[in-house]
Amino acid sequence: MRVPRAARLLLPVLVFAAFLVVLQAWGGRIDWWLPVRTIAVAAAVLVAVRLVPWAALLRRVGPGSRFYAAALYLWMLRHFTSILLAETRRVLLAQRLAAPRRWGRGWFASLASALAAVFARVLVRAERFYAAQLLRGIGR
Amino acid sequence: MTPLLEARELTFGYRKGEPILRGISVRLDAGERLGVAGGNGAGKTTLLWCLLGLLPAEGSIRLFGERVTRKSWRRIGVVFQNPEDQLFMPSILDDAALPLLNRGLAPAEARPRAMEALEVMGLAHEAERPAAELSLGQRKRAALAAALAPEPELLLLDEPTAELDRPSARRLAELLRSTHTACLITSHDLDFLGRTVHRLALLASGRILACGPVAEVLSNGRLLEDAGVL
Ligand SMILES: Nc1ncnc2c1ncn2[C@@H]1O[C@H](COP(=O)(O)OP(=O)(O)OP(=O)(O)O)[C@@H](O)[C@H]1O
Ligand SMILES: [Mg+2]
Repeated sequence: MRVPRAARLLLPVLVFAAFLVVLQAWGGRIDWWLPVRTIAVAAAVLVAVRLVPWAALLRRVGPGSRFYAAALYLWMLRHFTSILLAETRRVLLAQRLAAPRRWGRGWFASLASALAAVFARVLVRAERFYAAQLLRGIGR
Repeated sequence: MTPLLEARELTFGYRKGEPILRGISVRLDAGERLGVAGGNGAGKTTLLWCLLGLLPAEGSIRLFGERVTRKSWRRIGVVFQNPEDQLFMPSILDDAALPLLNRGLAPAEARPRAMEALEVMGLAHEAERPAAELSLGQRKRAALAAALAPEPELLLLDEPTAELDRPSARRLAELLRSTHTACLITSHDLDFLGRTVHRLALLASGRILACGPVAEVLSNGRLLEDAGVL
């Protein structure tokens, strides 16, 4: 079974959406719009990240401009999205190499661990990135 | 005898018209250790990823005499250049046990063997900790333990000593020499390569500049300079 690449990148988001549904079911009432919106927003961000010429935009809006803060904010958002995607891709690859037998022993548990690790690592990287920006005098 | 690994005329670029590998051929026989040295950006990591079938290279690649598939990975141990990319289980003991479990061992057998591999890498005391709490060099050693634990037929190691202190690098060289596992090792660490591999290939600008017995290649200073490793 070949899963398309874009779908695979959305996997953690799907897991997160499923997690939301489970939480709601636990609470007794399921609002189906919540997971649907989560997935829609993630997909839209994915498309935006791919299609918008971000670097050119940021260069056009110089530090003097009113839009600079907004542009910088979007740039960082894009940066984090790319981190999330890259981390997801890498962890899933490592999981495939470590557990090459699909459905074999430990496969499912390792997939769950791998997805959980994505979130932990993205947090660590976000912190590191923030520290680096502080050192450069950009963060507030 | 069919070689364990044989690649012919590999060509690959991340972008069209910008080849990173230009017609690379390598061959590795059972029990043989081959080093690949080259400067930053020479294409060492790219070559390993192509050999694993993770990047779509032109040319032919045969692993264990067959085309590369997910099945071939069951017989290979891999250590990435960045060890953080590879450890994701709740503890490094789980990381080292996973390949054993997935290859069909029962947990009662897998965990002691994983523990043994961690011990060999000097990580017995850290076994229950997650990789995120370890130093970079310790993570690399944990990734090595996870790759070595299932005693694969072939090891692909990307800069295995880059983060290691000298005693650890020396122990790794001894360990690899004491096994008969075939290895393909990329590294800038000429000292380590000199102790570990039988043959050394020099990679520069996507081509193999030279490939031969390690002592011979290492004694040619001009060649090493041309390859950007000296
Ligand atoms: N994902 C990528 N997209 C585009 N180009 C890439 C990518 N990864 C690597 N490259 C380019 O491919 C070339 C070879 O990179 P590679 O990582 O294989 O080098 P290396 O020999 O492993 O270097 P190092 O010693 O730094 O590990 C470099 O010029 C690099 O810029
Ligand atoms: Mg590399």
